[in-house]
Amino acid sequence: MSTHLELRDLLGPYVIGALEPEEKLQVEEHLGRCSSCKDEVRDLRLAHERLTELANTEQTPPQDLKSRVLGDPPRLETRRAPLAAAAAILCALAVLGVLYSTGLFAPDEVAAANLEATALASRAGGELRVHEEDPNAQAELEVWGLPRPGPNQYYELWFGEEGGRVSAGTFTVDEGGQETLYMTVPEDASGYGQVGITLEEFPEEPRMSAAKPVLTGELEES
Amino acid sequence: MNGVADELLVGRVARSGDERAMSELYDRYAGLIYGAGVRYLGDQVLAEDLVQDVFTAVWRNASGFDPSRASFATWVYRITRNRATDLIRRRRARVRTVGGDTPFEPGEEDSTGELSRSFDLASALSRLSPAHREVLTLAYFDGLSQSEISRRTDTPLGTVKSRTTAALRALRESMSEGERG
Repeated sequence: MSTHLELRDLLGPYVIGALEPEEKLQVEEHLGRCSSCKDEVRDLRLAHERLTELANTEQTPPQDLKSRVLGDPPRLETRRAPLAAAAAILCALAVLGVLYSTGLFAPDEVAAANLEATALASRAGGELRVHEEDPNAQAELEVWGLPRPGPNQYYELWFGEEGGRVSAGTFTVDEGGQETLYMTVPEDASGYGQVGITLEEFPEEPRMSAAKPVLTGELEES
Repeated sequence: MNGVADELLVGRVARSGDERAMSELYDRYAGLIYGAGVRYLGDQVLAEDLVQDVFTAVWRNASGFDPSRASFATWVYRITRNRATDLIRRRRARVRTVGGDTPFEPGEEDSTGELSRSFDLASALSRLSPAHREVLTLAYFDGLSQSEISRRTDTPLGTVKSRTTAALRALRESMSEGERG
Protein backbone atom coordinates (compact mmCIF):
# COMPACT_ATOMS: atom_id res chain seq x y z
CA MET A 1 0.00 0.00 0.00
CA SER A 2 1.46 3.36 -0.98
CA THR A 3 1.82 6.14 1.55
CA HIS A 4 0.19 9.55 1.46
CA LEU A 5 3.40 11.19 0.21
CA GLU A 6 3.91 8.60 -2.51
CA LEU A 7 0.36 9.03 -3.73
CA ARG A 8 0.64 12.82 -3.49
CA ASP A 9 3.56 12.63 -5.93
CA LEU A 10 1.25 10.98 -8.46
CA LEU A 11 -1.37 13.71 -8.46
CA GLY A 12 0.20 15.54 -11.42
CA PRO A 13 0.13 12.52 -13.76
CA TYR A 14 -3.33 11.72 -12.36
CA VAL A 15 -4.65 15.13 -13.42
CA ILE A 16 -3.03 14.75 -16.84
CA GLY A 17 -4.52 11.28 -17.22
CA ALA A 18 -1.13 9.60 -17.45
CA LEU A 19 -1.32 6.98 -14.69
CA GLU A 20 -1.49 3.24 -15.12
CA PRO A 21 -4.96 1.83 -14.24
CA GLU A 22 -3.73 0.37 -10.94
CA GLU A 23 -2.07 3.63 -9.87
CA LYS A 24 -5.15 5.57 -10.84
CA LEU A 25 -7.32 3.33 -8.70
CA GLN A 26 -5.03 3.79 -5.69
CA VAL A 27 -5.03 7.57 -6.11
CA GLU A 28 -8.82 7.72 -6.40
CA GLU A 29 -9.27 5.59 -3.28
CA HIS A 30 -6.87 7.92 -1.45
CA LEU A 31 -8.70 11.03 -2.65
CA GLY A 32 -11.87 9.63 -1.11
CA ARG A 33 -10.37 9.97 2.35
CA CYS A 34 -7.71 12.76 2.03
CA SER A 35 -9.10 16.28 1.79
CA SER A 36 -5.67 17.93 1.40
CA CYS A 37 -4.91 15.81 -1.67
CA LYS A 38 -8.39 16.58 -2.98
CA ASP A 39 -7.63 20.31 -2.65
CA GLU A 40 -4.29 19.75 -4.33
CA VAL A 41 -5.98 18.04 -7.28
CA ARG A 42 -8.28 21.05 -7.68
CA ASP A 43 -5.26 23.38 -7.83
CA LEU A 44 -3.28 21.16 -10.19
CA ARG A 45 -6.30 20.77 -12.45
CA LEU A 46 -6.50 24.54 -12.89
CA ALA A 47 -2.84 24.64 -13.96
CA HIS A 48 -3.49 21.66 -16.26
CA GLU A 49 -6.49 23.32 -17.90
CA ARG A 50 -4.59 26.53 -18.51
CA LEU A 51 -1.64 24.62 -19.96
CA THR A 52 -3.98 22.73 -22.27
CA GLU A 53 -5.52 26.03 -23.36
CA LEU A 54 -2.07 27.49 -24.03
CA ALA A 55 -0.94 24.40 -25.92
CA ASN A 56 -4.07 24.62 -28.08
CA THR A 57 -3.39 28.28 -28.90
CA GLU A 58 0.33 28.07 -29.56
CA GLN A 59 1.51 27.08 -33.00
CA THR A 60 5.03 26.68 -34.24
CA PRO A 61 5.85 29.58 -36.55
CA PRO A 62 7.78 28.97 -39.78
CA GLN A 63 11.43 28.29 -38.97
CA ASP A 64 12.76 31.25 -40.92
CA LEU A 65 10.40 33.72 -39.25
CA LYS A 66 12.71 34.32 -36.29
CA SER A 67 15.58 35.44 -38.50
CA ARG A 68 13.20 37.60 -40.50
CA VAL A 69 11.79 39.19 -37.37
CA LEU A 70 14.98 39.67 -35.40
CA GLY A 71 17.30 40.09 -38.32
CA ASP A 72 21.01 39.49 -38.30
CA PRO A 73 23.10 41.06 -35.53
CA PRO A 74 24.23 44.17 -37.45
CA ARG A 75 20.58 45.00 -38.06
CA LEU A 76 19.80 44.64 -34.39
CA GLU A 77 22.67 46.96 -33.58
CA THR A 78 20.96 49.75 -35.45
CA ARG A 79 18.01 49.61 -33.11
CA ARG A 80 19.90 50.36 -29.98
CA ALA A 81 19.08 53.99 -29.44
CA PRO A 82 15.44 54.57 -30.26
CA LEU A 83 15.20 57.70 -28.18
CA ALA A 84 18.28 59.29 -29.64
CA ALA A 85 17.08 58.32 -33.05
CA ALA A 86 13.74 59.96 -32.34
CA ALA A 87 15.37 63.34 -32.22
CA ALA A 88 15.19 64.14 -35.90
CA ILE A 89 11.48 63.69 -36.30
CA LEU A 90 10.76 65.31 -32.98
CA CYS A 91 12.80 68.37 -33.94
CA ALA A 92 10.64 68.62 -37.02
CA LEU A 93 7.53 68.19 -34.94
CA ALA A 94 8.58 70.57 -32.21
CA VAL A 95 8.40 73.66 -34.36
CA LEU A 96 4.68 73.21 -34.64
CA GLY A 97 3.88 74.13 -31.07
CA VAL A 98 4.04 73.33 -27.42
CA LEU A 99 3.17 69.95 -26.08
CA TYR A 100 -0.40 69.18 -25.51
CA SER A 101 -0.03 68.70 -21.81
CA THR A 102 -3.45 67.83 -20.50
CA GLY A 103 -3.38 64.25 -21.77
CA LEU A 104 -5.23 63.15 -24.83
CA PHE A 105 -7.08 60.11 -23.86
CA ALA A 106 -9.19 60.99 -20.90
CA PRO A 107 -12.65 59.40 -21.04
CA ASP A 108 -14.86 60.78 -23.83
CA GLU A 109 -12.17 63.14 -25.01
CA VAL A 110 -11.53 63.46 -28.73
CA ALA A 111 -8.49 65.05 -30.32
CA ALA A 112 -7.64 65.98 -33.88
CA ALA A 113 -4.68 67.22 -35.85
CA ASN A 114 -4.23 68.84 -39.22
CA LEU A 115 -1.18 67.34 -40.85
CA GLU A 116 1.05 69.80 -42.63
CA ALA A 117 3.41 68.83 -45.42
CA THR A 118 7.16 69.08 -45.19
CA ALA A 119 9.43 69.83 -48.13
CA LEU A 120 9.60 66.10 -48.83
CA ALA A 121 5.95 66.01 -49.85
CA SER A 122 4.95 69.58 -50.50
CA ARG A 123 1.58 68.76 -52.07
CA ALA A 124 0.50 66.39 -49.32
CA GLY A 125 -1.90 66.96 -46.48
CA GLY A 126 -3.84 64.99 -43.94
CA GLU A 127 -6.13 64.89 -40.98
CA LEU A 128 -5.98 62.73 -37.91
CA ARG A 129 -8.89 62.25 -35.55
CA VAL A 130 -8.58 60.37 -32.27
CA HIS A 131 -11.67 58.67 -30.92
CA GLU A 132 -11.82 57.37 -27.42
CA GLU A 133 -13.01 53.82 -27.60
CA ASP A 134 -12.89 50.90 -25.28
CA PRO A 135 -10.34 49.44 -24.74
CA ASN A 136 -7.98 51.66 -26.78
CA ALA A 137 -8.21 55.02 -28.46
CA GLN A 138 -8.60 54.78 -32.21
CA ALA A 139 -7.02 57.03 -34.79
CA GLU A 140 -8.75 57.78 -38.08
CA LEU A 141 -6.12 58.96 -40.52
CA GLU A 142 -6.84 60.52 -43.88
CA VAL A 143 -3.98 61.53 -46.13
CA TRP A 144 -3.77 62.85 -49.65
CA GLY A 145 -1.13 63.96 -52.11
CA LEU A 146 1.56 61.66 -50.70
CA PRO A 147 4.07 60.34 -53.21
CA ARG A 148 3.56 56.66 -53.88
CA PRO A 149 6.29 54.80 -51.94
CA GLY A 150 8.97 52.93 -53.82
CA PRO A 151 9.04 49.10 -53.83
CA ASN A 152 10.91 48.93 -50.52
CA GLN A 153 9.30 51.92 -48.85
CA TYR A 154 6.30 52.49 -46.62
CA TYR A 155 4.78 55.20 -44.46
CA GLU A 156 4.60 55.05 -40.68
CA LEU A 157 2.40 57.01 -38.29
CA TRP A 158 4.02 58.14 -35.03
CA PHE A 159 2.81 59.71 -31.82
CA GLY A 160 5.51 61.61 -30.01
CA GLU A 161 6.66 64.07 -27.46
CA GLU A 162 10.05 65.44 -26.66
CA GLY A 163 12.31 62.51 -25.95
CA GLY A 164 10.22 59.68 -27.30
CA ARG A 165 7.81 58.39 -29.86
CA VAL A 166 5.76 55.30 -30.49
CA SER A 167 4.59 53.81 -33.72
CA ALA A 168 0.87 53.43 -34.42
CA GLY A 169 1.37 51.37 -37.55
CA THR A 170 2.46 51.40 -41.14
CA PHE A 171 0.65 51.97 -44.40
CA THR A 172 1.02 52.76 -48.03
CA VAL A 173 -1.07 54.87 -50.41
CA ASP A 174 -2.70 54.34 -53.78
CA GLU A 175 -1.55 55.89 -57.01
CA GLY A 176 -3.45 59.05 -56.19
CA GLY A 177 -1.54 59.37 -52.95
CA GLN A 178 -4.68 58.93 -50.86
CA GLU A 179 -5.60 56.62 -48.03
CA THR A 180 -8.04 56.49 -45.15
CA LEU A 181 -7.02 54.24 -42.29
CA TYR A 182 -8.17 53.26 -38.85
CA MET A 183 -5.38 52.50 -36.44
CA THR A 184 -5.19 51.66 -32.78
CA VAL A 185 -3.40 54.29 -30.73
CA PRO A 186 -0.74 52.54 -28.64
CA GLU A 187 -1.34 52.79 -24.94
CA ASP A 188 2.14 54.23 -24.60
CA ALA A 189 1.04 57.25 -26.63
CA SER A 190 -1.29 58.49 -23.93
CA GLY A 191 -0.45 62.15 -23.36
CA TYR A 192 1.64 62.51 -26.50
CA GLY A 193 0.71 65.68 -28.32
CA GLN A 194 2.54 65.45 -31.59
CA VAL A 195 1.98 63.26 -34.58
CA GLY A 196 4.07 62.65 -37.63
CA ILE A 197 4.23 60.47 -40.68
CA THR A 198 7.58 59.32 -41.93
CA LEU A 199 8.71 57.59 -45.07
CA GLU A 200 10.58 54.45 -44.07
CA GLU A 201 12.50 51.90 -46.02
CA PHE A 202 12.91 48.13 -45.85
CA PRO A 203 15.03 46.41 -44.70
CA GLU A 204 16.39 49.22 -42.54
CA GLU A 205 14.78 49.67 -39.18
CA PRO A 206 13.55 53.23 -38.68
CA ARG A 207 16.39 55.37 -37.39
CA MET A 208 15.99 58.94 -36.41
CA SER A 209 19.13 59.95 -38.17
CA ALA A 210 17.47 58.83 -41.36
CA ALA A 211 13.90 59.83 -40.50
CA LYS A 212 12.04 61.47 -43.34
CA PRO A 213 8.98 63.24 -41.94
CA VAL A 214 6.50 63.96 -44.70
CA LEU A 215 3.55 65.15 -42.61
CA THR A 216 3.56 66.61 -39.11
CA GLY A 217 0.95 68.00 -36.78
CA GLU A 218 -0.06 68.78 -33.28
CA LEU A 219 -3.05 67.18 -31.63
CA GLU A 220 -5.63 69.51 -30.19
CA GLU A 221 -8.63 68.71 -28.15
CA SER A 222 -11.78 68.74 -30.25
CA MET B 1 18.68 33.09 -20.24
CA ASN B 2 16.39 30.31 -19.01
CA GLY B 3 14.60 31.40 -15.88
CA VAL B 4 15.38 35.10 -16.32
CA ALA B 5 12.19 37.09 -15.81
CA ASP B 6 10.59 38.65 -18.87
CA GLU B 7 10.82 42.08 -17.29
CA LEU B 8 14.58 41.79 -16.85
CA LEU B 9 14.97 40.68 -20.45
CA VAL B 10 13.01 43.60 -21.85
CA GLY B 11 15.09 45.89 -19.62
CA ARG B 12 18.23 44.54 -21.27
CA VAL B 13 16.70 45.13 -24.69
CA ALA B 14 15.87 48.71 -23.72
CA ARG B 15 19.30 49.50 -22.25
CA SER B 16 21.63 47.84 -24.70
CA GLY B 17 19.66 46.21 -27.49
CA ASP B 18 20.62 42.82 -26.05
CA GLU B 19 20.06 40.40 -28.92
CA ARG B 20 20.05 37.28 -26.75
CA ALA B 21 17.40 38.80 -24.51
CA MET B 22 15.29 39.61 -27.56
CA SER B 23 15.82 36.10 -28.90
CA GLU B 24 14.69 34.61 -25.58
CA LEU B 25 11.56 36.77 -25.54
CA TYR B 26 10.85 35.62 -29.09
CA ASP B 27 11.20 31.98 -28.06
CA ARG B 28 8.81 32.49 -25.17
CA TYR B 29 6.05 34.35 -26.99
CA ALA B 30 6.33 33.96 -30.77
CA GLY B 31 4.44 30.65 -30.84
CA LEU B 32 1.59 32.14 -28.88
CA ILE B 33 1.42 35.29 -31.00
CA TYR B 34 1.61 33.28 -34.19
CA GLY B 35 -1.05 30.86 -32.97
CA ALA B 36 -3.27 33.76 -31.97
CA GLY B 37 -2.74 35.28 -35.41
CA VAL B 38 -3.74 32.10 -37.20
CA ARG B 39 -6.82 31.79 -35.03
CA TYR B 40 -8.02 35.39 -35.06
CA LEU B 41 -6.82 36.52 -38.47
CA GLY B 42 -7.48 33.20 -40.15
CA ASP B 43 -4.41 33.47 -42.34
CA GLN B 44 -0.84 32.24 -41.85
CA VAL B 45 0.72 35.09 -43.80
CA LEU B 46 -1.13 37.66 -41.70
CA ALA B 47 -0.11 35.72 -38.59
CA GLU B 48 3.53 36.09 -39.64
CA ASP B 49 2.92 39.83 -40.16
CA LEU B 50 1.46 39.95 -36.68
CA VAL B 51 4.56 38.34 -35.13
CA GLN B 52 6.75 40.76 -37.08
CA ASP B 53 4.68 43.78 -36.02
CA VAL B 54 4.57 42.78 -32.36
CA PHE B 55 8.29 42.18 -31.98
CA THR B 56 9.12 45.33 -33.91
CA ALA B 57 6.89 47.22 -31.48
CA VAL B 58 8.55 45.51 -28.50
CA TRP B 59 11.96 46.38 -29.85
CA ARG B 60 11.11 50.00 -30.54
CA ASN B 61 9.16 50.66 -27.38
CA ALA B 62 11.17 48.60 -24.88
CA SER B 63 12.45 51.76 -23.22
CA GLY B 64 8.86 52.86 -22.58
CA PHE B 65 7.92 49.61 -20.85
CA ASP B 66 7.13 50.21 -17.18
CA PRO B 67 7.04 46.96 -15.16
CA SER B 68 5.33 48.74 -12.27
CA ARG B 69 2.25 49.28 -14.47
CA ALA B 70 1.91 45.87 -16.08
CA SER B 71 3.77 42.63 -16.57
CA PHE B 72 5.59 42.07 -19.83
CA ALA B 73 3.02 39.41 -20.72
CA THR B 74 0.18 41.90 -20.28
CA TRP B 75 2.06 44.50 -22.30
CA VAL B 76 2.83 42.18 -25.18
CA TYR B 77 -0.74 40.84 -25.08
CA ARG B 78 -2.07 44.38 -25.53
CA ILE B 79 0.33 45.01 -28.40
CA THR B 80 -0.75 41.74 -30.01
CA ARG B 81 -4.43 42.58 -29.63
CA ASN B 82 -3.96 46.09 -31.01
CA ARG B 83 -1.92 44.93 -33.99
CA ALA B 84 -4.37 42.13 -34.72
CA THR B 85 -7.19 44.67 -34.65
CA ASP B 86 -5.30 46.85 -37.12
CA LEU B 87 -4.70 43.92 -39.43
CA ILE B 88 -8.36 42.86 -39.29
CA ARG B 89 -9.54 46.40 -40.04
CA ARG B 90 -7.15 46.81 -42.91
CA ARG B 91 -8.23 43.51 -44.32
CA ARG B 92 -11.90 44.44 -44.03
CA ALA B 93 -11.23 47.84 -45.59
CA ARG B 94 -9.43 46.19 -48.46
CA VAL B 95 -12.28 43.78 -48.97
CA ARG B 96 -14.77 46.66 -49.05
CA THR B 97 -12.58 48.56 -51.49
CA VAL B 98 -12.39 45.81 -54.04
CA GLY B 99 -16.03 44.90 -53.53
CA GLY B 100 -15.42 41.17 -53.68
CA ASP B 101 -16.72 38.44 -51.48
CA THR B 102 -15.32 38.33 -48.00
CA PRO B 103 -13.02 35.31 -48.01
CA PHE B 104 -13.57 34.74 -44.32
CA GLU B 105 -14.73 36.53 -41.27
CA PRO B 106 -11.99 36.59 -38.65
CA GLY B 107 -13.07 35.35 -35.27
CA GLU B 108 -14.12 37.64 -32.48
CA GLU B 109 -10.93 38.84 -30.87
CA ASP B 110 -10.48 37.03 -27.59
CA SER B 111 -14.05 37.53 -26.43
CA THR B 112 -13.58 34.78 -23.85
CA GLY B 113 -10.29 36.15 -22.51
CA GLU B 114 -8.55 32.90 -23.47
CA LEU B 115 -5.72 34.68 -25.24
CA SER B 116 -5.14 37.01 -22.31
CA ARG B 117 -4.96 34.02 -19.96
CA SER B 118 -2.54 32.26 -22.30
CA PHE B 119 -0.13 35.21 -22.21
CA ASP B 120 -0.29 35.24 -18.42
CA LEU B 121 0.38 31.53 -18.37
CA ALA B 122 3.32 31.84 -20.77
CA SER B 123 4.76 34.36 -18.34
CA ALA B 124 4.12 32.07 -15.36
CA LEU B 125 5.78 29.21 -17.25
CA SER B 126 8.87 31.30 -17.91
CA ARG B 127 9.34 31.81 -14.17
CA LEU B 128 9.64 28.07 -13.44
CA SER B 129 12.93 26.27 -12.92
CA PRO B 130 14.40 24.75 -16.11
CA ALA B 131 13.62 21.20 -14.88
CA HIS B 132 9.99 22.01 -14.16
CA ARG B 133 9.52 23.90 -17.40
CA GLU B 134 11.10 21.07 -19.36
CA VAL B 135 8.82 18.36 -18.02
CA LEU B 136 5.69 20.44 -18.70
CA THR B 137 6.89 21.48 -22.16
CA LEU B 138 7.55 17.87 -23.13
CA ALA B 139 4.16 16.74 -21.80
CA TYR B 140 1.94 19.53 -23.11
CA PHE B 141 3.66 21.03 -26.14
CA ASP B 142 5.52 17.99 -27.47
CA GLY B 143 2.78 15.58 -26.43
CA LEU B 144 5.11 13.01 -24.83
CA SER B 145 3.88 10.40 -22.38
CA GLN B 146 5.53 10.09 -18.96
CA SER B 147 7.51 7.05 -20.19
CA GLU B 148 8.67 8.94 -23.27
CA ILE B 149 9.77 11.86 -21.12
CA SER B 150 11.66 9.40 -18.93
CA ARG B 151 13.54 8.05 -21.95
CA ARG B 152 14.05 11.45 -23.56
CA THR B 153 15.53 13.01 -20.42
CA ASP B 154 17.20 9.85 -19.13
CA THR B 155 15.33 10.22 -15.85
CA PRO B 156 13.67 7.41 -13.83
CA LEU B 157 9.94 7.16 -14.53
CA GLY B 158 9.08 7.67 -10.86
CA THR B 159 11.06 10.91 -10.83
CA VAL B 160 9.29 12.11 -13.97
CA LYS B 161 5.93 11.53 -12.29
CA SER B 162 6.82 13.32 -9.06
CA ARG B 163 8.48 16.12 -11.06
CA THR B 164 5.34 16.54 -13.13
CA THR B 165 3.36 16.98 -9.92
CA ALA B 166 5.90 19.43 -8.51
CA ALA B 167 5.99 21.37 -11.79
CA LEU B 168 2.21 21.73 -11.97
CA ARG B 169 2.22 22.85 -8.32
CA ALA B 170 4.97 25.41 -9.02
CA LEU B 171 3.07 26.64 -12.06
CA ARG B 172 -0.09 27.09 -10.01
CA GLU B 173 1.89 29.15 -7.50
CA SER B 174 3.51 31.15 -10.27
CA MET B 175 0.05 31.86 -11.72
CA SER B 176 -1.05 33.16 -8.32
CA GLU B 177 2.04 35.38 -8.10
CA GLY B 178 1.18 36.81 -11.47
CA GLU B 179 -2.40 37.51 -10.40
CA ARG B 180 -1.17 39.26 -7.24
CA GLY B 181 1.65 41.09 -9.03
